[in-house]
Amino acid sequence: MQLTRRHLLGSALTLSAMELFPGISHAQARKLVFATFTGSWEEAHRDVLVPAFKKASGQDMLLDAMLSVDQIAKVSAARTNPPIDVMLHDPGPALVAIGQDLVEPFPVAASKNYKDLIPEAQDPMGPSMFFQVVGITYNPETVKTPPTSWADLWKPEYKGRVGITNLNSTLGTGFLVEVARMHGGNEGNVEEGFKAIEKLKPNLAAVAANPGALAALFQQGQVDISPGNFNAIQILKTRGVPVEFVAPKEGAIAFKTSIHIVKNSPNKALAAQLIDVALSPEVQGKLMRSPYLVVPTNGKVRMEGEIAKVLAKDTAEMKKKFVFQDWKKINEHRSAWIDRFNREIKL
Amino acid sequence: MNTAVVKGPPATGYSLAFASPLAAFFVLFFLAPLLLLIVISFYATPDLKSFGLDQYIKIATDGFTLPVLADTLWLGVQTTLLCLVLGYALAWSYVRSPRTMQKVLMLIIVMPLLTSVVVRTFAWVVILGRQGIVNSMLMEMGWISGPLKLLYTRGGLIVALANVQLPLMALPLITALQKLDPNLEDASSALGASALRTFVRITLPLTLPGILAGCLLTFAASITAFISQSLIGGGQMLFMPMYIYQQASSLQNWPFAAAISLVFLIAVMACVALFNALGRLSRGHIAD
Repeated sequence: MQLTRRHLLGSALTLSAMELFPGISHAQARKLVFATFTGSWEEAHRDVLVPAFKKASGQDMLLDAMLSVDQIAKVSAARTNPPIDVMLHDPGPALVAIGQDLVEPFPVAASKNYKDLIPEAQDPMGPSMFFQVVGITYNPETVKTPPTSWADLWKPEYKGRVGITNLNSTLGTGFLVEVARMHGGNEGNVEEGFKAIEKLKPNLAAVAANPGALAALFQQGQVDISPGNFNAIQILKTRGVPVEFVAPKEGAIAFKTSIHIVKNSPNKALAAQLIDVALSPEVQGKLMRSPYLVVPTNGKVRMEGEIAKVLAKDTAEMKKKFVFQDWKKINEHRSAWIDRFNREIKL
Repeated sequence: MNTAVVKGPPATGYSLAFASPLAAFFVLFFLAPLLLLIVISFYATPDLKSFGLDQYIKIATDGFTLPVLADTLWLGVQTTLLCLVLGYALAWSYVRSPRTMQKVLMLIIVMPLLTSVVVRTFAWVVILGRQGIVNSMLMEMGWISGPLKLLYTRGGLIVALANVQLPLMALPLITALQKLDPNLEDASSALGASALRTFVRITLPLTLPGILAGCLLTFAASITAFISQSLIGGGQMLFMPMYIYQQASSLQNWPFAAAISLVFLIAVMACVALFNALGRLSRGHIAD
C-alpha cells in the first residue's frame, strides 16, 4: 500500500472516531443504563439503588432520568439497539410499552425477592418497585380544617384556590377517573367526572401543565388545595413550603410503578439483577425512610416513620386504604379524554 | 490589464467547496428528519401500519386543530406588537444616549439572551403570582383589595413573552436606527414638519427593514416558546407546541403529531413569506 497524505488522514480520522465513539466498534460493552424518573426519584435511586447494585454485581451503571413517555419514544425509535436497558413506568405507559412489544419478561424463577412482593405488585412483564400515592395536598396556613374527602375541593370557601393538572399526566387522569367514580362512573365512563370538573371551574385557580408546575404553584401561594402526589409534597416540605398531605376517605389513588427489562437489551442478565436488587427489602427499606419516603411493594418491609403515620401501618391496611385503577381500560379511552379536556376545560 | 494575470480557479469555485460540510450537515440533521416527518404524517393509524390522508382529513374536519393554530398565530401577533412598541422606544433611547450610557443599555438589552429561558420564565411566575411583586405592590398602595389573577392569563403570557423576546426586536431596530442619517430628520424639521410628521414620513419608513427583521424574529420565537407558554399560560391554554407535545409524547400518536407539526410549519412559513413580501415593498418605497 502506498502511503499518501490522503490515506494517512483517512486512517487517523477512523481511529479517532473509534476512540470518540466506542459504541460503533464495541456495541456490547456499554454499562447498564436505567431510565429512572426525574427529580426526587433520580436522587433517591442515585443514593440508594446504584450503590446497592454495585455491591451486588461489582458493576457500574448509569442513571438516565426522563419521563416514561420519553423512554418509550427512545426505545421504540431504536428497537434493535436500544439505548436503555431498564425502564421505569407508571401503569398507563407500562401497558403501552408492553403492547408495543418493547419489554422482555422478568425471569421470575431466578429472582430472590419477587415472591415477597405483595400480589398487586407481581407481574412477570414488569414487577412494581414502588407505589405512588395521590391524595389531597393543602396549605395548612390557609386551609384551617384539614380536608377529608375529594368533595372538599368543591367547597365554595375555596373559590379560586384549587389547582389541578391536565390529563397529560398520570396524576391528572387518575384524578378524573376518581371524580367520575365518586359520581357513579368508572374507568370506562368518565362523563360524570367531566361534569364535576365543569362545576369545579369557579374554584380553579389554575390548570397546571404538569405535576411539577403544580408543586411550584404551592410555593407561590397561587393555589391552596389540589390533588397531589405524596412524594412531591415531601420535597416541598423539606424546602420549608407549608404543605400537608392527607389521604381522602374515599381512598388515596395508588398506582404501581413497574420496572421492565428492555427487549433486545445487550445487558439482560445485569438488567434482571438490577431489578432484583430494586425489589429487595434492604433497598426498599432504605428508600422508605426519610428523606426519600418511597412506598414499598415488598411485603417483608415493615412500614415506619412518616409513611406509617400518614398512609398505612402495614400492607394489609395499605390495601384497604388504597384505590387501584384499571389502566388497561383507561388507556383505551385516554386520547378521547385528552381531546375532550382540550376542548372543554378553558378558564 | 491582460488575461495572463488570472491564475487558478475563480474565487467563487472555492466558496462552494467550503460550503459542502455545512450542506452535508443540513442534509443529515435538517432535511432527513424533515422528510421522515413528512412520511410519518401520511400513516393512517398510530401503529404505523397503513398509509392514508387520514391525519390531514382529521385536521381539516375536527374543528379543533385549526382554531388552536389560528390562536397560536394570533398570540404571536399580539406579542410582536407589544415587543415592537417597547423595542422601538428602547432602541430609540439607546441611539440617542451618550456613549457610556449606551454601553450600560446594551448590557441590559443583551443580558436576557444570556439567561436561560426557564429561569426567566420562572421569574415571571414569581412576578405575576398572587403574592408576587405586582400584586403586593398594588395592595400596599391600596389600589386593590384582593390579589388580581395575573398568572395563567393571556395578558400575563403576552407580557412575559414580550420580555423574553425583547432583545430579538431591539437589536435589529438599533442597527436600523444607527444607520439613519440624522441630517434627514434635521432637514425635515427645518422644512417645517412637526416631530410626529418627521417620525411618520422619514424615520419610520427608513427603519422599516429593521422593524420587519425584528417582527419576524419575535413572531417566530413567541409562537414556538413551549416553556413560557406552558408555565405562564398553564394547562388550560393550548397552543400548537403543547398540542404537538401532547399528541407525540402523552398519546404516542406520531402520525397526527407529525401532521400538525407540518401544518404549523407551513403556516409559519406563509407568515415569513408575507413578511418578506412586505420587506420587498418597503425597499421599493425607500427607492422612490
